[in-house]
Amino acid sequence: MSVLSLTGVSRWYGNVVAVNDVSFEVGAGITGLLGPNGAGKTTLLHMMAGFLAPSAGDVRLDETPTWRHPEVYRHIGFVPEREAAYTFLTGRQFVRASARLSGVADADAAADRAIDMVELRDAANRAIGGYSKGMRQRAKVAAALVHDPPTLILDEPFNGVDPRQRLSMMDLLRAMAADGRTILFSSHILEEVERLSDRVLVVVAGRLAASGDFRRIRRLMTDRPHRFTIRSSDDRRLARELLAAPEVEAVELREGMLSLRTGDYGALTRAVAPAAQRAGVSLLELRPADESLESVFSYLVRR
Amino acid sequence: MIATLASLTLRALLNRRRTLLLGLLGALIVAVAAIYRLGGPTADESLDFTGRLLANFGIAVLLPLVAVIIGTAALGSELDDGTIVYLLAKPVPRSIIVLVKFVVAWAVTGLLVAVPMLLAGVIGAGGDPGLGIGYGVAALLGGLEYTAVFLALSLITSRALVIGLAYVVVWEGVVAGLFAGTRIVSIRQHALAVADALTTDGGVPAELALGTAVVVGALVTAAAVVLAVRRLSLVELRGETG
Repeated sequence: MSVLSLTGVSRWYGNVVAVNDVSFEVGAGITGLLGPNGAGKTTLLHMMAGFLAPSAGDVRLDETPTWRHPEVYRHIGFVPEREAAYTFLTGRQFVRASARLSGVADADAAADRAIDMVELRDAANRAIGGYSKGMRQRAKVAAALVHDPPTLILDEPFNGVDPRQRLSMMDLLRAMAADGRTILFSSHILEEVERLSDRVLVVVAGRLAASGDFRRIRRLMTDRPHRFTIRSSDDRRLARELLAAPEVEAVELREGMLSLRTGDYGALTRAVAPAAQRAGVSLLELRPADESLESVFSYLVRR
Repeated sequence: MIATLASLTLRALLNRRRTLLLGLLGALIVAVAAIYRLGGPTADESLDFTGRLLANFGIAVLLPLVAVIIGTAALGSELDDGTIVYLLAKPVPRSIIVLVKFVVAWAVTGLLVAVPMLLAGVIGAGGDPGLGIGYGVAALLGGLEYTAVFLALSLITSRALVIGLAYVVVWEGVVAGLFAGTRIVSIRQHALAVADALTTDGGVPAELALGTAVVVGALVTAAAVVLAVRRLSLVELRGETG
């Protein structure tokens, strides 16, 4: 088992503080790093993966500092957020090259295994330049886990991946965690973190705003009213159906728009589609109102 | 590991349209030598013309142009587009990454410059390989130094191509022409000194002594490679979103 530890880590760019005095440890299992865009998630992940020097503090994988110690990459797989890829290689060539550079003994077999794990076999012999965003994402994941590292760091791994593949990638990460691996991924989407991780770190404006068991933090984040607006083929009929749902606290029909209030963000989002189906109404739009993630996170910081 | 790194670098370089255009530039020097030859000059005239063609176009234009484009792209393009992360996230010593990229960039530069110069020399000298070999070897050695310098430059600034071209045009083209004392740090003069020493007929007389050129050239090359290794091990990757 590997442990990533940060002790009093800060990082600044000139006068801008991107990460401010953060300390935590990440061990076996899946840990989600949650925060709005620009909160410092990527800076934190890059420091953990040894791509950025901490301006202060210490980042280690087990006993080894990650900065300027390329040998730690025997034990780390990293999936960057950026879409950059060797567009002239096929997916298989890319994953094989990754295996060889990682010093894997049977690179071809390891690459085939990794490609199967991310379900990229059908596209493996096509050039990455022609891949969709989701296919590139899977190729990157395959390249990161081809050397079977005990630690996997993923920066926004579900961006651009379609829902079905998102589920299968979540299953893959769960299976890897069940083998005792240390998996850390970042996301700005609460639902992703909720579904995948046992433990969560919340970063807001470069600081660690909360860390620990997901349910506790989730309660902090969701025990507040959320508003949604809905457009549908028959708002009135849908409103009647939704009012019966326990997670709906208030329903309002105004200016041709159906507006809902709930105390449970996730449960509501899951309740709307079945309700529409029961009512025989076509759902045109479901949108959280006045509810940027930033506002959710700043609410959390105030608590 | 080294073979993988080399093949990635080579494919990335050869995949660029620019590289193909540089190949055409190399073909141009061969074509010019051949066309002059077809005009029916005397052997001396042809030798003299080809020597000046190899020195004033081959060493002075083709070599630095190819070296600056290939040398700054070998690592620079990966730094620009972010694919460097896939190399940096591997347990490969940074010195190996730099050395492999350097050797591959040098080989591509050599292929694009030394080979056409050898051919042009052989054609211009009516089949005698002496002139072509002399300038070909000079292009290889000059290419080594240029590639090292431009590779290091690409790790220092994101404007390496522009700065490299400015060095070639302003320093080597103008300053070294005006002030003899500055020629000691002109890579073109190093290459010309080698060419002069290796050719008997048709070579253009050099303005630097061979010993000086070789010693300074070797020192510059070694310093550039050391600097590049150091810079690569300090490269930081920032996210797009913070």
